[in-house]
Amino acid sequence: MKQAGLDLGSVNTKLVVLENGDRIYSQVIPSRFDSVKAGINLLETYAGKYGEKPEKLVVTGYGRVNFPEGRVITEITCQGRGCHDYFPDYAYILDLGGQDSKVIKKSAEGKIVKFIMNDKCAAGTGRFLDVILKGLELTSEELNLAAQAKPMPINSMCTVFAESEVITMLAKGIPKPEVVAGLFKSTAKRLANFIEAVGHPECLIFTGGGAHYNILVSFLERELKGKVVIPPEPELTAALGAALLA
Amino acid sequence: MDNRELWTALGMDLEKHDEFLAPIPSILKNLFWDRPNRPKAMGYFDAVVGDVHGIRVHELYAMKEAGAKVFSTFCVYVPEEIVVATGSASIGLCAGAQFTVSSGEKVLPRNLCPLIKSTMGFKLDRVCPYFQVSDWVIGETTCDGKKKAWEILNEHIPTYVMELPQKKEAKDARLWDEEVREFASFIERETKVNLTKENLTQGIQTINSKRQALQRLANLRQHSPAPIHGLDVLLINQLSFFDDPVRLAAQVNALCDELDVRVKEGIGVAPVDAPRILVTGTPQPLPAWKLHALIEQAGAVVVGEETCTGERYFKDVTEPADNVSDMLTNIAKRPLKVNCACFTPNTGRMEDITLMAKHLNADAVIDFSLQFCQPYGVESYFVAKEMEKRKIPFLQLESDFSEEDQGQLLTRIEALIEMIRA
Repeated sequence: MKQAGLDLGSVNTKLVVLENGDRIYSQVIPSRFDSVKAGINLLETYAGKYGEKPEKLVVTGYGRVNFPEGRVITEITCQGRGCHDYFPDYAYILDLGGQDSKVIKKSAEGKIVKFIMNDKCAAGTGRFLDVILKGLELTSEELNLAAQAKPMPINSMCTVFAESEVITMLAKGIPKPEVVAGLFKSTAKRLANFIEAVGHPECLIFTGGGAHYNILVSFLERELKGKVVIPPEPELTAALGAALLA
Repeated sequence: MDNRELWTALGMDLEKHDEFLAPIPSILKNLFWDRPNRPKAMGYFDAVVGDVHGIRVHELYAMKEAGAKVFSTFCVYVPEEIVVATGSASIGLCAGAQFTVSSGEKVLPRNLCPLIKSTMGFKLDRVCPYFQVSDWVIGETTCDGKKKAWEILNEHIPTYVMELPQKKEAKDARLWDEEVREFASFIERETKVNLTKENLTQGIQTINSKRQALQRLANLRQHSPAPIHGLDVLLINQLSFFDDPVRLAAQVNALCDELDVRVKEGIGVAPVDAPRILVTGTPQPLPAWKLHALIEQAGAVVVGEETCTGERYFKDVTEPADNVSDMLTNIAKRPLKVNCACFTPNTGRMEDITLMAKHLNADAVIDFSLQFCQPYGVESYFVAKEMEKRKIPFLQLESDFSEEDQGQLLTRIEALIEMIRA
């Protein structure tokens, strides 16, 4: 039997298909402001390849309520389930997605016991980092340099204010790597506070597109004084969880 | 006089008012009228809210023509009994509309509680006939935002401020007792009616009967399946602030009679296994229905409100006495049993939430705070601690009166429901 999980996110839409518990297919495409359409495309592409749609489908993420088929489960429950598959022994999950960030605490059985999500604004979300990094037009070399640089303190967590703070620093001639290091450090600090509002993990599971920033991971480990583990494809865990729940 | 003539007579901005009222019928239809299985006795409340700026305003206008006064309040601590005793009207004002928030921001900081901004906007925009028909606003010092906003509001309508103490020691009770007596003299002066044993007894009785009817309704919600939606009860609680108290009590009791039958026959508005939610936190003034609507849209049912538009408003009655002075003493005593986050410490509220959760068989508690509400926002820390200690699933939400965060709120509420059901 084939079970599918479709995560309709604000930035990317992801599909994971399992057959008898083993992953046989996964795909990520940009949502382009229409995650429902992206989801339909993903399912069609899959059906074109495998000849039929998966028998069971769970939809999750931002676009889930508008999706025409599948059982609806929130991304919180799905993220918890997906992470539990990789890391059954760790309780805390930080998910840094495009539009929101969340901290989830799960039990030894993989059930959600507590969660919090960021408030309305973009501060502390993947969007915050994307907007500012895009404006900096970083080369991968500069990003690597940032890992060793002395971080400049950035105080604003509002995307708009932080951007203007960054521009001011660059105008003063502060090297880009130092500014970037500061940006990640301040983000890590904010995320650490967010996590500690839920609990104090010795080991944190980090998911979402944000987990791809190695520099953020190392700052986060320093802030939390703990270990951070990342699943192989951190942007796919909610879709995986959805497939497991299907 | 028809509604438009009345609104003109009250000096309202008709154009803006039309704009404000335009979406209301479709909101009422979606949230209330089209919902299946509602008790028949909701008909009265539907009629009142369906003509929310009409029927009751005509009555108040007529009362004024006959020489009475209209006093507007924003808080459950203001003693209605005293006003009602003199034959004047005490009404709670609308303060839960996004429409007026931006006007409020013309004179108030943006980072302020939306309830205060909405209130101010209603007056500045002249879109609330209740504000327009009022002779006085009775303010109180429950938070810094309100306390300072009254000074600005006073430039537009005479505003009397009662000083509510911040602790519940003996000396605080003495201050409040004095405040209530001063308020009584002020009402006597303004209405030119003296408080007597007879009229104050009557005033206490009228308001107590209203509170008892609302208590009866609240108690019926402990049954499973829930005999009534939380959204309907919220509407009644909101209307109870400004409808005629005697008529409202009679209508609430009629509704309770109908619900008694439902309970006996095991009829409910939600399945027996629908998650039962207790809401605690800041008030949901008319027309703030978002939170309840989302919770019930997600398949849960709201069984109680530990809020000012709920339990805090009616949980205690004023004890009777045989002379005016003792009656005033008892009137002052009642509100001090109410556990508002404006008091420090406020441990009684934690007991209230726990007891209500137990009594109502709540599966989870949603702690709701209006954005920028310092007292409730800070107190959320203790609510969370208490719920964890009691092992009651809970969710903290912060929002305002706007519509745009409904998706985010719904995700959180649905996740809570999945948590309970897992």
